[in-house]
Amino acid sequence: MKILGRNKLITPAMIQTLKTYPYPLILVLIAFVVMFSGLYPGRFLTPLNFSTTLTQFARLTLFALGPTIVLLIGSLDLSYVGIWMLGGVLVWLLMPILGMFSILVYPLFGLATGFLIGVLQVKAKIPSFILTLSLLFTFAGLASWLTGGVPRPVREYEFITEPLIPRIPTAFLWSIPIIIAAVFIMKRTRIGTYLYAIGSSEEGAGLAGINVAKYKILAYTLSGLFTGIGLIILFSHFGCAAPVDLKLGNVVEPLAAMVLGGTALAGGSGGPERTALGALTLAVIIRGLYLMILLPEVVDFLSGLLIVVAIVIGARGLKGVTVT
Amino acid sequence: MVTPMDTSLLEVKGVSKTFDGVVRALDDVSIAIRQNEIVGVVGENGAGKSTLMKILVGVYPPDKGELYYRGRKVPFPKDPREAAKRGISIVYQEKGVILHLKVYQFLFLGHEDKYVEFSRLQIDKMKEHAREILEELHVKCDAEDFMYELPLSTQKMVEIARAILSVRLECGDAKVTPIIILDEPTAPLTVERRRELFSYILDMKKNASFIFVSHIIPEVMEFTDRVHVLRDGKLVADHDLSKEKITEEDLFRAIVGRGSSEYLYKPGVKRVVSEKVVLTVKNLTKNGCYYDISFDLHKGECMGIFGPAGSGKSEIMQTIAGLISFEGGSLIVRGQKVKADEPLHFRLGRGIGYFSGEIGKELFLNWPIVKNISIVNIEKILLRMLPVISFNAEKNMAEKIMKRLRIRAPSVKTDCYSLSGGSKQKVSVGKWLERSPDILLLEDPTIGIDVGAREDIYEAILEMKKSGISTILVSDDPKEYSILCDKIVFIKDGRIQKVLSPEEFRKVMAA
Repeated sequence: MKILGRNKLITPAMIQTLKTYPYPLILVLIAFVVMFSGLYPGRFLTPLNFSTTLTQFARLTLFALGPTIVLLIGSLDLSYVGIWMLGGVLVWLLMPILGMFSILVYPLFGLATGFLIGVLQVKAKIPSFILTLSLLFTFAGLASWLTGGVPRPVREYEFITEPLIPRIPTAFLWSIPIIIAAVFIMKRTRIGTYLYAIGSSEEGAGLAGINVAKYKILAYTLSGLFTGIGLIILFSHFGCAAPVDLKLGNVVEPLAAMVLGGTALAGGSGGPERTALGALTLAVIIRGLYLMILLPEVVDFLSGLLIVVAIVIGARGLKGVTVT
Repeated sequence: MVTPMDTSLLEVKGVSKTFDGVVRALDDVSIAIRQNEIVGVVGENGAGKSTLMKILVGVYPPDKGELYYRGRKVPFPKDPREAAKRGISIVYQEKGVILHLKVYQFLFLGHEDKYVEFSRLQIDKMKEHAREILEELHVKCDAEDFMYELPLSTQKMVEIARAILSVRLECGDAKVTPIIILDEPTAPLTVERRRELFSYILDMKKNASFIFVSHIIPEVMEFTDRVHVLRDGKLVADHDLSKEKITEEDLFRAIVGRGSSEYLYKPGVKRVVSEKVVLTVKNLTKNGCYYDISFDLHKGECMGIFGPAGSGKSEIMQTIAGLISFEGGSLIVRGQKVKADEPLHFRLGRGIGYFSGEIGKELFLNWPIVKNISIVNIEKILLRMLPVISFNAEKNMAEKIMKRLRIRAPSVKTDCYSLSGGSKQKVSVGKWLERSPDILLLEDPTIGIDVGAREDIYEAILEMKKSGISTILVSDDPKEYSILCDKIVFIKDGRIQKVLSPEEFRKVMAA
């Protein structure tokens, strides 16, 4: 009898719905929220933690949005932390010359970096992973060298993330139009459609009259531009300075947000809206672990482990989508 | 142990196989293989050839059926290693070769355990054995060559040698007669290399029996001793070529299962072929594929390139589509000369659309129908003021095409991988119908789909022709040429033999 009852309660159609995106990930998100709330309600369900989680979300999303575009064409762009570090140094160096305009170095530098990666990748046919990783390393080294290993704050830009609404971090507010812009470009313009096509099948894209090389370069350029725009906000948010030593966590976490969101590493399926959802889930995980009051090393270890678990569960609903 | 010539080495009786409880892939099929013979298994795509072979090597378990090896009943193998113990091994159509291994490493791949001594691999012994085997089987290469250094045909020979070797190693007996399944072995080879491979296989007959899976009729006629024909999962014919007199046409009829009068060409369809030439091909040559090809394509004309599989017809088509380059001669599209290595995406700008039924290269399978139709028609669905896609216009366009071509799908949002073969092909035709390029290349446009869907597609193509679109057709089905084409170029071994009118073509086919 019990089995019969259960069968009626969970119909195959329901199971099918639960297996399709984005439900598995939403379930993961809810599970983590419930778990952390149960473990320490006094610390997790507080306005302070709410606003800190949103800050984490903004940080992850603003880093991950640009590279998501590159991920969609089946390549990787890891240069974001490099743009963050070296861009910050350039803002500091150019401040005496450009004045308040020097913050615009970020989007321009991102754009130039993206374009350079795109041209190198397409013309020299180097794997994007090793190319962007090397570039990240180069930028980090250069940033550290130019500043002498000490972060150089530029206090003039604090107004960008001045609090507007109580308890809602301004960085989060800024991230919303940027997410909308990325989703709009990917879903409703020719560029977006063509980039999805390239990620889905490069040969098919060529047969549909798409200039694959040109649009690939465009994808990297867009990625750099989005990273640069996001970094204006993050620069101001992190005390108007960029770090000068390379931390692996800064590279891995946005990447994890993208994959957790469900953008296939092979390209063609996923999108910026999924990255935002992935970033939210990851922000909850990271906050939950920090609240446990553990050693930072243990937090790193646990968050790595939990990301793997969450990706496995989150990816279950994507099986039907990634057929090529 | 000596098995007399007339008793079977391997016998499969009454094999049935159903997928997902619905699709009947095999229905009561029996075949037999004797000592030292080449047995052909032919049929269209989806007839069940591959399923049968996969059952023999233990990839799928059959639902029903019996297996006899040297007259003894044995269970069906559960994996390729067990199959090798029963003397069966397979050479796959493609992807069977690991290019970065040396020949001896590739030969013993998966059997290294036989060469381990004190947990160390006896490499010298492996090389020595590999050399002996290559010599015995007359493979012209050295054990220390890398696989990628060898020509494709030699790679196939090494694969065959490896298949024989794996049976010997698993049975622990060098005298055993292996049964080697060759799954369309000639598909990636050029005309000359095919000959080379076949003379090699004929030479190997004294060492092994072969099951030769193919859909290329002339090859089967020439090289096999007996031939089994599969159609829709059933064994429909079984001919002993040494005793019976069978023509290629007989075999063709058995494979496709119908005469050539099912869909008759309607002379009522008016031909609007103008004098205007849209495509000129002059002395086009790609060594190993085709030589000295010349023809003109007029506006609104449908030209067929007809020939046996492997004659170079597909390669000519793919050259015009921009998928492969050419080596000599010239290709002139609407008065403009095309460079041999022009990037693929320029072709659509020149007005050339390409559609392949079998490969589906141009279809994005993980996309919904609506996106697949709009990808080549984005200009039509942008808003008037901004370069932004209007989802409404996109949906209307797709719904119009869906209705017109009678595509059976729940909605235009259905993903393409879940569609039937016929619907997939209709989506491909549909997007070109909407785009109407100047020249449309059709490669096997109706392969593997049912008669109803076929007629819908023919109708759409004839309609496009009427509106002045020129088409070039390549197909495995001669009937298709007489339905669609205004002129047929007959091609063999990469060279044009003659140019026929549809009437002449029908006469040739009837004779």
